[in-house]
Amino acid sequence: MNETLITLDNLSIGYNNQAVLSGISFALVRAGFTAIVGTNGSGKSTLLKTILGLLPPLGGRISTASQSARLIFGYVPQFTHFDSIYLLSAFEVALMGTYGRVRPGFFIPHSERDFTHECLSAVGVDELARKRFAELSGGQKQRVLIARALATRPDVLVLDEPTAGVDRGATHAVMEHLSRICEEVKISVLLVTHDFAAVRQHAGQVVWLYESDVFVGSAQELLTPELMAKMFERVSTPGDRGIY
Amino acid sequence: METLRQILSPDFLLRNSIYTSVIIGFSCPLVGVFFVMRRLVFMGVALPQISSTGVAIALSLPMWLGFNLASHGSNSVHTLAFIGSITFTLTAILVLAFLERRGHGHPDGRLGTAYVMAASLSILLLSKNPYGEIGWLDMLKGDIIAISNFDLVLTAATLTLVLAALGLFHKELLLVSFDRELAIILGKNVVFWDILLYLLIGLTVSMAVLSIGPLTAFGFLLIPALMAHLFAHNMRQFTVLASLTGGVVAFLGFWLAYQYDFPVGPTDVVVLGVLYAIAWIAARWLSDFTASSNSKWL
Repeated sequence: MNETLITLDNLSIGYNNQAVLSGISFALVRAGFTAIVGTNGSGKSTLLKTILGLLPPLGGRISTASQSARLIFGYVPQFTHFDSIYLLSAFEVALMGTYGRVRPGFFIPHSERDFTHECLSAVGVDELARKRFAELSGGQKQRVLIARALATRPDVLVLDEPTAGVDRGATHAVMEHLSRICEEVKISVLLVTHDFAAVRQHAGQVVWLYESDVFVGSAQELLTPELMAKMFERVSTPGDRGIY
Repeated sequence: METLRQILSPDFLLRNSIYTSVIIGFSCPLVGVFFVMRRLVFMGVALPQISSTGVAIALSLPMWLGFNLASHGSNSVHTLAFIGSITFTLTAILVLAFLERRGHGHPDGRLGTAYVMAASLSILLLSKNPYGEIGWLDMLKGDIIAISNFDLVLTAATLTLVLAALGLFHKELLLVSFDRELAIILGKNVVFWDILLYLLIGLTVSMAVLSIGPLTAFGFLLIPALMAHLFAHNMRQFTVLASLTGGVVAFLGFWLAYQYDFPVGPTDVVVLGVLYAIAWIAARWLSDFTASSNSKWL
């Protein structure tokens, strides 16, 4: 049985005291791969930001395995999140992952720089280290951001639609890297995605958000053709709440 | 060349003015880089003007309270002006940043309103202040003529402090500007780093406005950074190139102004503007040339 890192217990999430979703309960375990799926506006990103501590929960609680040591999150936002005006190389972007361990006013030690190169190599983009981040393709940017998240030495790797806007080949490569990292480094992976094929192939646990409902189970349980057909019927006829 | 020899002479009468001008020319683009990266160009226009309103209010205050400011030394006047400038600049930058973070209303509209209000208020205050006619209006217009040793030392010390802080905390300031969410996740106190950046911007803007006036301060804050962005390949080149451009243009502008008897501040801005236009054309040409060279190889 893998160690539980985070437990969400009857969590309510939302903005400005307006709940988007309530009654969310699931756990993230070490070396586990969890996918959050759902339609646009269903609260996927809000849930991710609440887990990361960027938004306060409106109710319920998030408890971590260790009360004494802070869990470290490696966050991979969507690559479109960044302004191209910054003249940063892929290496400089990835190096930011180490900033949490370097005190203000101190230079970044060589060991951290070497580790950043290792992280870039782990996702297969070390040869792009000196290239300008803004000039990379979507898939390359996404892998640099995964390297940055790995450079934080995370307990949990959190990814917000890492394959959005990325071509099929690059999507496959990104997902393969994630799956391998999850197993090798024994970190928990939590990702938001619309890619059901990737979820079916890699995720051990699926959290499906639909309107105000939250469904948690394995990919085999939730992603059956019958249930998916029912779900998409509901999406196509939003007035009909149906029975799930 | 004779003018250049005169300017470079250690006995040059206006040596403090040229030293101050060049120090500000080097320093303003260093914070200007953050204005460009954070896309706060309008704030770069409004802040120097708000700072000059702070100067006008600080210099009007003794008159309203019945004190005779003329009987005090120029150092007291300069200190009072500095206090007014820094108070208004910091208050404005913190309020504007807070409103922007809340995300309500129109940021450009707020900045535009702040700019025109500040400009009008400065003119109104100084028109009713008898001391305004004996030099302060010139100072706000950017005529760098009489810079005392005290002014020079104050400017150099303040801007050295700003430079040291920017160098020492560059990675934190860059992180909160580039990816605020990551900074929070890494446990950085983003409010503290934002306030530090605003404090450094406030100090630089205040010193620049007091020495070269709001118009010229705006020019040095933004144009060198915009020019440098056309050619730089990384953040270090961006910062160094912007700072060098500002410093060199400050010297060149002073030289031209002295040679042709122009006011220094507006001369600096015109030189910056002309160089920016040339740089933009050169960058476009370079880009087209590189693209056509690459296509020949394919």
